[in-house]
Amino acid sequence: MTGSELSQAVEQMAAPAAAAQPGNAVLRSLIGGLVTALPVLAIGLLVLNFAPTYYTFLALGAFVNLIVVVGLQVFMGNSNIANLGHSAFVGLGAYGVAILSTPLAMKKLSIPNAPFGFATLELDPVSSALIALVVVGIVALVSGKVISRLSGVAATIVSLALLIIVHSVFLNWTDLFKGNQAFFGIPKVVGLPWMLVFAVLAIVAARLFKDSRWGLQLRASAQSPQAAAALGIDAKKLRLMSWVLSALICGLAGVLYAYFAGTISPKLFYFQMIFNTLAMLILGGMATVTGAVTGVIVLSVGLEFIRSIESGVTVAGIQMPQLLGLSGVALGVVIVLCMAFRPSGISGRHELDELLSLLFRHSAR
Amino acid sequence: MDYALQQLLNALAFGAEYSLVALGLAVVFSIMGLVNFAHGEIIGVSAYSVFLAAALGLTSPFVAVLLAVGIAALAAVVFERVAFRPVRYAPTTTGLLTAFGVSIVVQNLFMLLISPKPQSVSILNGLNQMWFFGPFAVSSLQVMELIVSGLTILALVLFLNRSTLGLAIRAASRDFATVRLMGIKANRVIATAFAISGALAGIAAVFILARRGSVSPDLGFGLVLKAFVACVIGGFGSLPGAAVGGMLLGFIEVGLLVALPQEYAGFRDALTYAIIVALLVYRPEGLLGQRIELGDKEI
Repeated sequence: MTGSELSQAVEQMAAPAAAAQPGNAVLRSLIGGLVTALPVLAIGLLVLNFAPTYYTFLALGAFVNLIVVVGLQVFMGNSNIANLGHSAFVGLGAYGVAILSTPLAMKKLSIPNAPFGFATLELDPVSSALIALVVVGIVALVSGKVISRLSGVAATIVSLALLIIVHSVFLNWTDLFKGNQAFFGIPKVVGLPWMLVFAVLAIVAARLFKDSRWGLQLRASAQSPQAAAALGIDAKKLRLMSWVLSALICGLAGVLYAYFAGTISPKLFYFQMIFNTLAMLILGGMATVTGAVTGVIVLSVGLEFIRSIESGVTVAGIQMPQLLGLSGVALGVVIVLCMAFRPSGISGRHELDELLSLLFRHSAR
Repeated sequence: MDYALQQLLNALAFGAEYSLVALGLAVVFSIMGLVNFAHGEIIGVSAYSVFLAAALGLTSPFVAVLLAVGIAALAAVVFERVAFRPVRYAPTTTGLLTAFGVSIVVQNLFMLLISPKPQSVSILNGLNQMWFFGPFAVSSLQVMELIVSGLTILALVLFLNRSTLGLAIRAASRDFATVRLMGIKANRVIATAFAISGALAGIAAVFILARRGSVSPDLGFGLVLKAFVACVIGGFGSLPGAAVGGMLLGFIEVGLLVALPQEYAGFRDALTYAIIVALLVYRPEGLLGQRIELGDKEI
């Protein structure tokens, strides 16, 4: 697997055509990203026009997961280092806007003793979101400085340590984050249309990064550090870059989640989210943005089905017992089986548009 | 003085426990490059088997200890056979994610088959008493933790240095292909490594049960995260590094416990991790790890 991919990566790097027409390559990648986003757009529009409220709510949750998984793919797919801390950034984004944009009347109830004057501060949703993303970016830059220097395994462990640090700050800095209790009263300003727009933007951004020279160099350095270093590729810088971009996309997902749900709590952004999104990315295939999208679609539907069994269903008039933990078992089994039998996931190593063009070329012949 | 001694013993006991678990991780990692996130669930399986045995009428703590260690070693070997053998030659990330998946499955199976809530286990509570040495009151559990961990590490060192299989394990961590050329079966080396790793986890499980007196699905998960961090500061895959890293972690934790005012006690974990990450900025390869330059063949 590695050998053929490596030769492919080297071929791509050596290909002078792509370098000679940078505009063309960007355009192709942009179109590719949009093609990848098409199924998402189609599902979103269907839900928007036909689905009852309950399904709209589910779809909003799934779109947040989609953005998180796409963000995760930006780092994991390109650097091939497992990241188990991305939900920390989702949480930071969500709490960032919660603290900045919650109306003052609500803040009197929830965080009256907030430090730094946050208790008397109320910003509009857009500037809150921007400030929250800046904070996410700064945290990502600082943590990325450490993580990009470490070897693969150590980097994974430190990403996990980051998750625990952030979670523990959420839990214990009660004046600012309300601790274990739910933080409520965040203005609900995001509906399905905006969510759809940002999901498409995230997909396109991930695709543009993957196809850019940085993405290509990073993927090359993940496959063969020696060869990449010999070509003068600075893998640390590229890892840092993809880490920060990944964190910003995850942070955006958090911002959107807070703005559609209106209520957040720390446990939402802890291991459960890591399990869910990681299983989605692995099932779909982490090498491609298409894989991220596929995994989210398949597992969101699958998990919803399993959750309905989990809460106890009535089969042929017989009430089945509650089966707590069933969805967790299913997620774990999905990860284990995927890794054993198809480590490249459902979509393999081709993006949707590449698959389609391959298909057309075959049928034209 | 009394207080200082007490805290020193605390730090040593915590450190010994982290070292035990970290050593289990390092033994497996050094041989097959597997980052075994499911190590915590080996502790879990062991603890739940004691819980089940006690529920079925087991009363002897001695048998419970043997059972915990035996089941843990067995569970580790079974995990390897079922889940990790298919990904043995896969890249590190694949193995890591597989182990993460196994960990999720087993944790949720505890939830599904037994209960999401903590279950009380009182069979080993007798290990946790107060011993009085003149003016000093000492927790028997902490003393035992220290002594047993020390003896276990000594036994591990003797095994790795004196027996053929131990030699094979050490050699396998450097060059598995050559070990197999010498006529040693790969499966045997790996199964032994997992059994050792499991037995270490089983000993840790006994101490956890004696201290907490209950089992819960995420029993081992948090401990293993800390053990991973211990491995990382020690230098991932280095056995002495794991032991030293575990001790260091114990001392940092207890140091923070003493230094932090009560109202900031919740930040202890966050600060522990932050200190360790800061250490990694200066030594990315860990305290006892060696810097590997690109293209180095001999480690």
